[in-house]
Amino acid sequence: MTKSSEESPSRRTFMMVVIGLISVAIGVALAIPIMGEVLNPLFKRRDIVWSELGKVSDLENIEPLVPKFVPVYFRVKEGWTVNTLPRQVIVVKDIAGKLYFFSNQCTHLGCPLHWIPERQKFMCPCHGGMFNVLGEVVGGPPPRPLFAWVYKIENGAVLIQNKFLDNPKERGV
Amino acid sequence: MFQKIQNWFDERIELTELIKEFNGERIPRRGGWVYTFGSLLAFLFTVQVATGIFLLFYYVPYFPMARNATYYLKHHVLFGNILLGIHLWGAFAMIFFLLVHMSRVYFSGAYKKPRELQWVAGMVLFSVVVVLGLTGYMLIGNENSWWTINVLTNVASHTPVVGGFLRIIVRGGTETSVLTMQHIFAVHVWLLPIIVIMFIPMHLLFIRKTGHQGMALEYKNSKLSDDDINKWKHPDATVPFFPDQFYKDIIIALAVFGVVYILAVVYGAAIGPMYRPLALNFAPEADWYFLANEELLKYFPGHGLIVFSTFLIPTIGFVILFALPFIDRGHERSPFKRPAATVLGILFLLLLVYLTLIGGEPKAPATV
Repeated sequence: MTKSSEESPSRRTFMMVVIGLISVAIGVALAIPIMGEVLNPLFKRRDIVWSELGKVSDLENIEPLVPKFVPVYFRVKEGWTVNTLPRQVIVVKDIAGKLYFFSNQCTHLGCPLHWIPERQKFMCPCHGGMFNVLGEVVGGPPPRPLFAWVYKIENGAVLIQNKFLDNPKERGV
Repeated sequence: MFQKIQNWFDERIELTELIKEFNGERIPRRGGWVYTFGSLLAFLFTVQVATGIFLLFYYVPYFPMARNATYYLKHHVLFGNILLGIHLWGAFAMIFFLLVHMSRVYFSGAYKKPRELQWVAGMVLFSVVVVLGLTGYMLIGNENSWWTINVLTNVASHTPVVGGFLRIIVRGGTETSVLTMQHIFAVHVWLLPIIVIMFIPMHLLFIRKTGHQGMALEYKNSKLSDDDINKWKHPDATVPFFPDQFYKDIIIALAVFGVVYILAVVYGAAIGPMYRPLALNFAPEADWYFLANEELLKYFPGHGLIVFSTFLIPTIGFVILFALPFIDRGHERSPFKRPAATVLGILFLLLLVYLTLIGGEPKAPATV
């Protein structure tokens, strides 16, 4: 018969080491798949698609420096589903006739911007961020100008990608 | 007959002894009504669990459906509005009385040696309950839920170094999507309640182990000095937990439950419109307990400073609160004998109330 821990101190040490090792082994074995499951989104490539916004000829006819909100619909895979993401594109034409395609999310924390014509500014209803019509910050806490959508012009149509230009921290659209 | 049943249990598990041990705890006598908030919170949590479980009979954690499932529960299920209302107003009551409970403990110096661990366990419960409130707000699936998820995950993204990864992990991708809702659901319904269920018994066990330590007014007759650790072990008078303290606890519980119930029946839970990412004129609002933090977010402009309002100030605040018993190590308990702590506490509460009151309004128009 093996000795009990009370009879032999070395036996006691041995048993405690075995208990510790088994606990750690089980813990690690469980933690690996759990961490994998939780961290999984970091290893997923995001689904990038093009979606048509409208005809260039129509967009070029808007008034200069008056933003036009145009919805765009991205059909993307999200997890196990395929969903439509409706998003606003702010189309602005400057004096020279150049078109800009901004996102309507505030660059501070992502609230939906309101265009206030009397002030000629975009205002964030959450924390008071303000942008001028060309997307530059003119007040409040936002750290950077408005995000611009990745876009291209093909066969007279403007196509928008569900992705922002100059977006190092991968802020979602 | 009852005697026989009692004997049957006693022979096997010494049930009577167990109940006596549990109910016989001595409670300092003078502060009776002030000591009811802890029990009240335990009671409110039980109500939240009971209502929450049955809300799940109808709820669907899927963004395009969640709001309509909640709407159906409220408008087409018998007494569903009351069940949902109790869950909402019960949550509000819980957060409010947590603040009351914490303030009581703070001002009466009850976190001091030997009760440091109890304060830390309580702080864990506080943090978890606030996150439970926020995640609950997100699960309704209405417009505010949608923008709250976006804003708060963006707040998380300002955490130094890991922020960007954190946002992707919480959202289950770069966008707020079906996985986001699923994650929040799992956190709200399983993860956080289990933490609460583990920490409430710890919080209680520590009370039993540290013995009856009361407010300063329990020790008026004591001749010992405040620095003597033995002084705080011997209140002038004590009563048993059951029924004396329990009687007061349950009256307070009934009063608060009554108010919650009336609010649930009369006002119910507002569900609001379906989320519309295309909305052009929607102004998201946070729940009342988050408004102070919301206000803070308005004050730190630009790249370098955002981290103050999103990460540094809240984190430092929580660290100070967690470490309070280790920072304030004096033996004085009476709020009048430690004026610095009392004045700081009052100023902090006033600041909190002030930020909450102005937090609901957008700051934009004033600064143009």
